[in-house]
Amino acid sequence: MRRYWRMFRAFASTEFQFEMEYRLNFLFTLLEMLLVVGTSVGAVLVMFAHTTTLNGWTLPQMLVLLGVYYLVQGGTSLFFSPSFERLMEHIRLGTLDFQLLKPANTQFLVSFRHLRMVRIPDVILGLAVLVVGLVQVGAEVGPLDAVLFAIALLAGYALVYALLLSLVTLAFWFVRIENLLTIFWAFTEAGRFPVDLYPGWLRITLSTIVPIGIAVTAPSQAIAGRLDSVGVALLCAGALLAWWLASTFWRLGLRSYTGASA
Amino acid sequence: MIAIYRQLLTAQLQSAAQYRVQFILWMLFAVIRPTIFLAAWVAVAVAQGGEVAGYTTRDFAGYYIALTLVAHLTTAWNSFEFEFEIRQGRLSPKLLRPLHPLHYAIVENIVWKGTTILPLLAVLGLLAATFDVRFATQPLHLVLFVPSMLLAIALSFMVGWVVACGAFWLQRVQTLNTLMQRTAFVFAGQIAPIALMPLPLQVVAWALPFAYILAVPTEILRGGVSVERAMVLIAGQAAWLAASCVLFTIVWRAGLRRYSAVGA
Repeated sequence: MRRYWRMFRAFASTEFQFEMEYRLNFLFTLLEMLLVVGTSVGAVLVMFAHTTTLNGWTLPQMLVLLGVYYLVQGGTSLFFSPSFERLMEHIRLGTLDFQLLKPANTQFLVSFRHLRMVRIPDVILGLAVLVVGLVQVGAEVGPLDAVLFAIALLAGYALVYALLLSLVTLAFWFVRIENLLTIFWAFTEAGRFPVDLYPGWLRITLSTIVPIGIAVTAPSQAIAGRLDSVGVALLCAGALLAWWLASTFWRLGLRSYTGASA
Repeated sequence: MIAIYRQLLTAQLQSAAQYRVQFILWMLFAVIRPTIFLAAWVAVAVAQGGEVAGYTTRDFAGYYIALTLVAHLTTAWNSFEFEFEIRQGRLSPKLLRPLHPLHYAIVENIVWKGTTILPLLAVLGLLAATFDVRFATQPLHLVLFVPSMLLAIALSFMVGWVVACGAFWLQRVQTLNTLMQRTAFVFAGQIAPIALMPLPLQVVAWALPFAYILAVPTEILRGGVSVERAMVLIAGQAAWLAASCVLFTIVWRAGLRRYSAVGA
């Protein structure tokens, strides 16, 4: 475990050095993200100028949700999607051979080798919105809620990871699957509002097929005091199951990999 | 000129036919954001007893379904591609052709939007059924919608090109694009019908071109404005279109003078 943590730190540091070659680019990305997050908060404020609750969610709770949305979205494009995008290329070109030869767990290597440091502002701004929301929610948040929040957030990340890994594994059979990832990102957009807001078919899609709705809504529900320990336990069980299924599927896919020397 | 356009149309249709999956993906993007905001506003209306500032849940459905259609028809993507053409010097061979690059973009627009509209209408029909839509459209609204829509398409196209010309001066138009997109996100009527925004924001919205691209045709199509008001709004569209054409001519000329890739 410690070995993998050390490897992850090495990956992160090389990616960071690479990104620091383009500092101005980093600054512009930060500027863009400020615009994106600012206008999104603005949209929520416009809505709450007309109402005090949105399907039972108050404004501070909605801010928490929006913060979590950018945390999940930013975290996904920072940690998961860069490596997975390379993985698809490796499968297509047959260069996955080199990853397979390395003396470490292949799933770890293909999942975390690359990071997109330029997405760090997303995570930071998400945290900022989250904190602003939390301050306003205020005293209602107990220590138990905070723990449940953290666990639910981790479970959410795990769900998203499992989904992405399964999608990318499909590349072993279908080779070109960028479009599937595009569909994933299209649905991500819907996470900016609580999943209970949506009509039947969209809610089911967002919570089961593309679990982004769960990943964003569940942690925020913990803050809003609407998610008890039983719910979190169920969520964790679901996330573990999804992770296990995705890993199994990945190993299955790996067996049908035919590179230059595999 | 007509013969040239006919040839270009055929060529574009053939190339577009290769990218059918892209059509479906594009549609997903086109539909999902308005649906999200529709669902949110319906929740607001429900929390307020079924109506917010004259908009019932069914009016919101009408607004956002009309908006999706208008947004689809007014999409302008040239500014995204133009940055690469400038930076990599791919504009040079195009400038040698006897036709202004604008014409290729126009044809591309006609083909793409014309071929995707039918599947989009099918999806919008599904959405209309889900949200129990209501349109207050009178026949006169439909008559006015046609010029308003055409003006909006042209305006969006020209605004996109003006921003694209920023690539002559800036290495990175993407930030400029994001700035424009997010301004439009707030002020074009995407996050809310303009009438529901706080008063200062409404003033800004009507002073910028974006509302004349999205909100105006949308409100006319759903029958949300009186005929007199619709006429005023259409006049506003025409004024902005004229202004953007003048602006485009200026920045295009100035930009070409700066353009220094091989062959220019």
